[in-house]
Amino acid sequence: MNKAGIVSYGSYIPRYRIRIEEIAKIWDEDPNELRSQLQVASKSVLGPDEDVATMAVESARNAINRWKGDPQKIGAIYVGSESHPYAVKPTATIVAAAIDAEKELTAADLEFACKAGTAGMQMCLGLVKSNMISYGLAIGADDSQGRPRDPLEYTAGAGSSAFLIGTERVVAEIEGTYSVTSDMPDFWRREGAIFPSHGVRFTGKPAYFQHTVDASKGLLEELGTKPSDYDFATFHQPNTKFPLTVAKMLGFSSEQVEVSLICKDIGNAYSASSMLGLAQILNHANAGDKIFMTSYGSGAGSDAFSFEVTDEIEEVKTYPYNVDHYIQNSEFIDYGLYARYKGLLR
Amino acid sequence: MEPPKIWREKRERYLAIGIQCQDCKSKSFPKTSFCTKCSSSNITEYRLATSGKLLNFTKVTSTSKEMNSYAPFFVGIIELDDGIKVTGQIVDCKFEDLQDEMRVRMVFRVLARNGEEGLIRYGFKFTPE
Repeated sequence: MNKAGIVSYGSYIPRYRIRIEEIAKIWDEDPNELRSQLQVASKSVLGPDEDVATMAVESARNAINRWKGDPQKIGAIYVGSESHPYAVKPTATIVAAAIDAEKELTAADLEFACKAGTAGMQMCLGLVKSNMISYGLAIGADDSQGRPRDPLEYTAGAGSSAFLIGTERVVAEIEGTYSVTSDMPDFWRREGAIFPSHGVRFTGKPAYFQHTVDASKGLLEELGTKPSDYDFATFHQPNTKFPLTVAKMLGFSSEQVEVSLICKDIGNAYSASSMLGLAQILNHANAGDKIFMTSYGSGAGSDAFSFEVTDEIEEVKTYPYNVDHYIQNSEFIDYGLYARYKGLLR
Repeated sequence: MEPPKIWREKRERYLAIGIQCQDCKSKSFPKTSFCTKCSSSNITEYRLATSGKLLNFTKVTSTSKEMNSYAPFFVGIIELDDGIKVTGQIVDCKFEDLQDEMRVRMVFRVLARNGEEGLIRYGFKFTPE
């Protein structure tokens, strides 16, 4: 059997940004202390005519255009998000129609806080490896919510990343994947509630760190690899401090993680967070490089992946609408416009 | 915002699909069941070019209730790279950034939301290239 892995990838980050200082000014908080704690300078904000479906479509189109293949060959589309525009009516069907992949395919929306997108990657990998489909498209997309004045408000950003999984012209082989899952009351949003709630410091040690470490160690043990075998690593980025801390706990250096740290510019893109980090690494990777990724989703679980980049990367990594393009294409807004765009003015 | 209309116009709005006449070869948008030039019904779907140049533009400040939350917004006539002219909103820019002949490309956006509980209509708009 051919190598199974990433055939193409595409990302999308909305244009608007708000600085940490601008939010801190409204609530009379110390921006220097916040920046020092979070190591985040600004976060991305959706425009008034955008939502998870529009971002998912833009990232999916970037993946298709980078691939230059036939979308009719895609047999599965999964969209992971905790902010789908409809409670009932799938985002995945909108994506299928907008990339001209209708109608012979399976599709579903997934929700697992910040790791539903990587769960979709695993589902696509399983379908591809069992020869049930030729290609599967897994998307992580979120327009994350943070209650005004809540610590989340400083980092809850937006973005989308799409990965096409298959066996032909693979740019990064998936060498293995390993997951841990446990029932964890660290972060939640009840049906009909606008804003999520969280367990403050409880979201750290027993939640993010324990699950990320367990999944990462599980995969390293299963593959018989060690952190120094990898050229790059990326972890879920609720802020910039957490992935750097967990990398150190596992024995990865900050240099291995640094390329993927997009959170300082766009904040926490939730389901898209670790996938955008992976996309950013692929834009800077060369054939033969090894990449380690572990996502984290509250509730809670982590999916760890090991990739090896192939020669095919040279064909696709020059595609212009990449993570760097969207990070640079930005416009800073004040809190008033932010409040309007986030729907806080009613 | 009726469900049948959204469903019928899906390919046109999402994928910017018009028609090409198989007799006189002319292309047109929006979709029709016959050629707008020679009236032939021997037509096939044609997918428009996804980038082009801005010919004319204006700022819309007074809108319907449905579009009020997006106002002011900018609307332009775009000549696509295949020569077809379409009308669309130009987003992700300031009005003072817009210039005649500037390059734009298609993006997928919300066209309108039917209140808090109704359907969301999606389709193409344009952004500076």
